[in-house]
Amino acid sequence: MASMIIETAGLTKSYGEIRALKPLDLTVPEGEWLSVMGHSGSGKSTLLNLVGGLDRPTAGMLKVGGEDLLGRDEDGLARFRREFVGIIFQQHHLIPYLNALENVMLAQYFHSVPDEAEARSALERVGLGHRLKNRPGELSGGEQQRVCIARAIINSPRLLLGDEPTGNLDHGSTTMVLELLRELRVEERFTIIMVTHNQEVAAWGDRTIYLDDGVLVREEKKLVEG
Amino acid sequence: MLFRILKNSFLKRPRSIFLVFLSITMGAAVATSFLGIAGEISHKMSLELRSYGANILLEPSAVEGGGFLREVDLPKIKTVFWKYNITGFTPYLFGLVDLTAGTKHERAVITGSWFYKQLLVEGEEPSFQGIQVIAPWWELQGGMPQDADEAVVGASLARRLGVVLGSRVVALARGATKPFRVVGIVTTGGYEEEQFFAPLVTVQSLLGKMGKLSRVLVSAVTVPMDAFGKKDPAAMSKEEYEKWYCTAYVTSVAKNVEEVMAGSRAKPIWQIASAEGALLTKLNSVVLLLTLLALGASAIAVSTSLMASMAERSPEIALMKAIGADRLQISAIFLGETLIISLAGGIVGYLLGDQLAALISQSVFNSAIKSPLWLLPTAMVSAFAVALAGSAAPLRRAFLIEPVKVLKG
Amino acid sequence: MQFVFKLIPQLIAWTIMVLLLLRGIPGRRRGVSLWAAGGFTMGVVGYALLARLASGTVPLGIIRCAVGGSFFLLWVVAVAAVYRSTVRDFPLVRVERFVESPFCAWGGGAIVGMVAGGISASLFPGSESGTVRFLVFSTLALAGVLLVVVARKVEWRLAPSIGVTPSSLPAVLVALLLFSSSSSLVLDLFSPLSMKVMKGTHDFVHQFMESILIPDHIFIRPAIWGYIGFLFGKEVGFWGGMVIWFFPVILISLAIYLEPLPSVAQIRQGAQRRRLLAAAISKKRRTLVIPAIALAALAGAAYRSSFPNVEYWDPKPLSVTATPAGELFIPRKGEVDLEDGRLHKYLYKQGGKEVRFFVLMTPAGKLTVVLDACAICKPDGYGQTEGMVLCYYCKTLIPLDTVGKPGGCNPVPVSFLEREDGVRLDALTLVNSWNRTVQTTTKSSGEGK
Repeated sequence: MASMIIETAGLTKSYGEIRALKPLDLTVPEGEWLSVMGHSGSGKSTLLNLVGGLDRPTAGMLKVGGEDLLGRDEDGLARFRREFVGIIFQQHHLIPYLNALENVMLAQYFHSVPDEAEARSALERVGLGHRLKNRPGELSGGEQQRVCIARAIINSPRLLLGDEPTGNLDHGSTTMVLELLRELRVEERFTIIMVTHNQEVAAWGDRTIYLDDGVLVREEKKLVEG
Repeated sequence: MLFRILKNSFLKRPRSIFLVFLSITMGAAVATSFLGIAGEISHKMSLELRSYGANILLEPSAVEGGGFLREVDLPKIKTVFWKYNITGFTPYLFGLVDLTAGTKHERAVITGSWFYKQLLVEGEEPSFQGIQVIAPWWELQGGMPQDADEAVVGASLARRLGVVLGSRVVALARGATKPFRVVGIVTTGGYEEEQFFAPLVTVQSLLGKMGKLSRVLVSAVTVPMDAFGKKDPAAMSKEEYEKWYCTAYVTSVAKNVEEVMAGSRAKPIWQIASAEGALLTKLNSVVLLLTLLALGASAIAVSTSLMASMAERSPEIALMKAIGADRLQISAIFLGETLIISLAGGIVGYLLGDQLAALISQSVFNSAIKSPLWLLPTAMVSAFAVALAGSAAPLRRAFLIEPVKVLKG
Repeated sequence: MQFVFKLIPQLIAWTIMVLLLLRGIPGRRRGVSLWAAGGFTMGVVGYALLARLASGTVPLGIIRCAVGGSFFLLWVVAVAAVYRSTVRDFPLVRVERFVESPFCAWGGGAIVGMVAGGISASLFPGSESGTVRFLVFSTLALAGVLLVVVARKVEWRLAPSIGVTPSSLPAVLVALLLFSSSSSLVLDLFSPLSMKVMKGTHDFVHQFMESILIPDHIFIRPAIWGYIGFLFGKEVGFWGGMVIWFFPVILISLAIYLEPLPSVAQIRQGAQRRRLLAAAISKKRRTLVIPAIALAALAGAAYRSSFPNVEYWDPKPLSVTATPAGELFIPRKGEVDLEDGRLHKYLYKQGGKEVRFFVLMTPAGKLTVVLDACAICKPDGYGQTEGMVLCYYCKTLIPLDTVGKPGGCNPVPVSFLEREDGVRLDALTLVNSWNRTVQTTTKSSGEGK
């Protein structure tokens, strides 16, 4: 059995009176593609934020990569995010005044030192070798999302988080992005956790969990082919 | 990379950058000019005050008319204990005369005085005494009288008499007349503009008061008045009196001079005497306070405009945080931005402030100011200080941005 | 009291020196701190003894030599450091072995300690009685030793990432010694340095012009004369001095900066490669902290030298003795330059009587000799400010031109003979003049201010 990259026990998150995540026990083995489904407000984004070190749980245990995230302070969490996690958002959050290449290099800069050649080759890998110098405003939705993917994988994260990464894309772009993620996973061997409300997108994963009102209600495992 | 980020950020948002730049420049300019003037002010003001600097007035002690001082006592002023502190003195004799110039007649005060007279006192080095020494602020059109029949006319009196340089004026007093040639017209903004100035000897003979003086003005370098100086000498112990006497308070110098001028009473001219010490320090602290206020105001302006742009940029900051920027890196980007602006603002502010200082100096002191070199670092430092102070609150706000909340949806 | 205030920056500098010595020679903490503490004590004791046995100028001269020599050595280190960082195979293995030996570490600690101790001790005005002097000096030595202990404790807690390299250690030590010595006008090196530069440039330009060019040469236009004129100015000395002053430390910083980063090309994964690179870069940056401290110390020294932290120029009176014929002689250009426009105080003792007087060249260019007292005030003496001397007792400012004239609060003039080589005074006249004018007013007072 592969080692567990994520282990939670009784993980809870409340916003004031509202409990976004009821005590949740979840383990994710290293290298898995996990899809998280549920209605909006079901707590799936909350789960993703907690795992990605963007938010802190109210109670419970949360271990990522074997380390308890609760012990880290704010800057510690920032360090965790840049060294361990790559995040892709639904809206292609890019810095508007930096071009594609510089947006990728920004992640390198926060991580360690920028390396232009490496950033360029990452963009070439996502098929944007010809649009390095374009600002986000000059790129299509699918292209922007691919810049985000290049930025997310540039620091070789062990965990790739997607918060509805294809939510704003048309069918063609969606397939292209997912296809890309599948290829990269083979090369880089990261774990993917992807939140979606699209059954079809979820089906790309090895396993799908269903959240409803902050509770894990169902779990489906794809049969491993071959 | 940092510079790439900053460069692009600058190019993208020229308007808000310009606002910050403007606030910092203003702060630096004000600081430069104020401090530049403050540095100069102590120097200039003390010269200026010295020039208003007759700080001791000697008058006849017999108050009821008639009393006069004696001209023969004058050289003794240069022999008193505080002789080295006495930088100058001038005797005056006043009288009323009827002046005639061409067809016009005026009744006016005639003042006999020394203008620039060499004084020889035995055992002392020769010195020059007179109005030119004690009142160098006189705005004189023409020159000072050299001969016995030359005179200087106050500006408004000259207007009424319709005299210009070179005109002839005849003075009539006690039935005697004396013609004068006008060699100077004086503007002071004070009572001098109503008077008619002529050499002392001439006026003495015209008025029939040979060897007599109405008053003597003395200018002395003094120590600022303090609590000890204000004590009544009569109530002092012997040792205290000794110290009081050997300290150059204006009162002790006055007393010293009074002793050598027979029948005189010396009065310190307080407003000037105390001004010398106290005013300067007050003026400097006022300038310093104003500088601080101006810097504070520009820091607030910087803070406000940065706050506004921070609100606009919160998604960007949230994103940076989400991809792993810690607080140091966030501060590096935002402080770096403000510091670069403040660098430019400091230099421009210095140049502006320099001009401003020169302008103020020109209009207030009527003299060119040599801007000292230390003002450039001062301007830079104050620009940096303004930028840092103005960045504190916006940066705190940037730290408090939670990526989860901003990036949602 | 003033002594204590003057001492504070010295002792802080001393603490930092010990701290960095310990950090720079990590293997020999014990030895280095012992030798440093011993050196400081030696410095204080040595200064006290030499000042007592010979005269105050002997230990001061030694300290000046030591500090100046160390600055010269720093230049050598700087050049070597640059050479080493650019040329990989540095052939000075023997020298390096010596530098790493315990003798060098201990000796370095001891020498630094001695100089620092000597400088600190020299700040003591020293006109007190023997017991007081003994107490002051032993307290000072004790403080120095205690600060070594403090420095050890602080060093223990200091972030381990602040590294001291073999070149940055001498840089910061010499810089701090220069900073320390800038506290006293006698020990200060920056002003003499800029003076030397100015004179050197002056002489060079002069000879150059004389030997090669004729003043009204056709190529020498007025504008060019302007530049040549600049070379004769005071600025040349200042800026030239600045360059010589800061250059070695800048060279050492450059050497550290130029040191190649570790080769990371063999690491395939980009993120890991970059992480190693970032670690190396940040280590290098932290190493540059030490030269930065050195630069700050040098800047501080230059500043203190240009704007001496004495409110009034008030030199310690130099003792003079009379010839058998009862004559005092003060050379025009001896250890003090009488013609530098500053007042120079002297102390003459005769049969338990002390007479203070000072020699000053007035702005008019006339040498004058006057008592350090006036006819009325308590003899608290005079200090000099810009264009004025100030009576400490009644705070009256006296224009420099009038020094030498009797009366008022002016210092009492003394008759003297001006000679080609200096000033001659009659000791008896001097003492009599002091007794006549001063004694009457000293009945109640102790000495000093």
